[in-house]
Amino acid sequence: MCEEAHALLNAYLDGELRGWRLRELEGHLESCAVCRNELKELQTVSNLLRSAPTPTFLPAGKFAARLTLQLPRRSLRDPLPKPPSWTWWLVPAGLLGAWFFLRTVFTLATAITAADATGLLGQSSAWFNGSQPQALWYLAVNSLFGSQVSAAQQSTLSLFNQVNTFGGDLLEGFLWQAMIVLLYWVWLAAWWLHRAPRPLELTAAG
Amino acid sequence: MLAPLITETEADLILKSQQGDRNAFGELVRHYYSRLIHVIYRMCGDAALAEDAAQEAFLRAWLHISSFRLGEPLRNWLYRIAVNAALDILRRRTEESAEDENLQMIPEQAMSPEEALIEKESTALLQQAVKSLPEAARSVLVLREYGELSYQEIASVLDIPIGTVMSRLNYARDRLREALKDQMLQAENEYV
Repeated sequence: MCEEAHALLNAYLDGELRGWRLRELEGHLESCAVCRNELKELQTVSNLLRSAPTPTFLPAGKFAARLTLQLPRRSLRDPLPKPPSWTWWLVPAGLLGAWFFLRTVFTLATAITAADATGLLGQSSAWFNGSQPQALWYLAVNSLFGSQVSAAQQSTLSLFNQVNTFGGDLLEGFLWQAMIVLLYWVWLAAWWLHRAPRPLELTAAG
Repeated sequence: MLAPLITETEADLILKSQQGDRNAFGELVRHYYSRLIHVIYRMCGDAALAEDAAQEAFLRAWLHISSFRLGEPLRNWLYRIAVNAALDILRRRTEESAEDENLQMIPEQAMSPEEALIEKESTALLQQAVKSLPEAARSVLVLREYGELSYQEIASVLDIPIGTVMSRLNYARDRLREALKDQMLQAENEYV
């Protein structure tokens, strides 16, 4: 325990310990004379450092006046106005809105298609679903061999056509959502780069 | 201790400085000079060097202030520049600088010659002990003891994890504890 306590004594001294760590260390200090002594020594070191005399420096006013005379010329152009931080959140909010919109549209479309296919909508679906969507190959087959196709073959072809158009819709929906996710990741990466502290190029200045 | 919140006036001065207003920047210098010079002095251990480093730090701040983001504590940003300026100036420093020069500038407050001598010696010992610390540990120690920054603020100023702040501070104070044993004994006797 003393080894653990040793690592935390400075944090305790500086008032940086909280919660159970603080309680645990205080409990240990009550029972351990070695750690108490160490803490006292650290406190003394801190006191010695803080009470060390300092030289008399140039008064702030004089220093500032002298410095302002030496300030090098700098471009007086206004710095580019930085967008306020809340604008960052417009991007994910917009993407989220677009995602909800797409989800709603696709869910509704699927539900209506399913209801229509099972006949739940009856004749009422006729106004929005005037004709069954048809794949290119289905149109071609119909126009070329329409008269030679039997009723059984026609219903099989129609089924394939429905599967094809349904799959196409699904794929389209998936691609849209994948694009939104990709844009979100790009935004996230840009946000991290923006947030990360940039090291100052200090040695180049002055 | 929390960093002082940016005040409207300060934000105004920063904006004006970013637009090239020297007087506004001068006001900021006037406000932060005394805090910075003390931190720099403890980093350098020499008053003349500290003044040079402070000047360099503020010049750098002037040149880079357009990259400062409003809303962050200016004090911490300046400390970061100040620590770097102090370290740079120390690296450039030639060996011929007189060690005792700065000690003569320390005001002696109604002391006998003997007391003044002891005070000078113990100050020199303390300063030497701090200066002998590796730069990384010294920066953390000085920002804590003289800059009065929290661990989180030190981590942010030096761009290091908070665990590193703790380990460097532990190392620095342990080293000082060893180096200043006699002084500590004397100080403890004084407190008793």
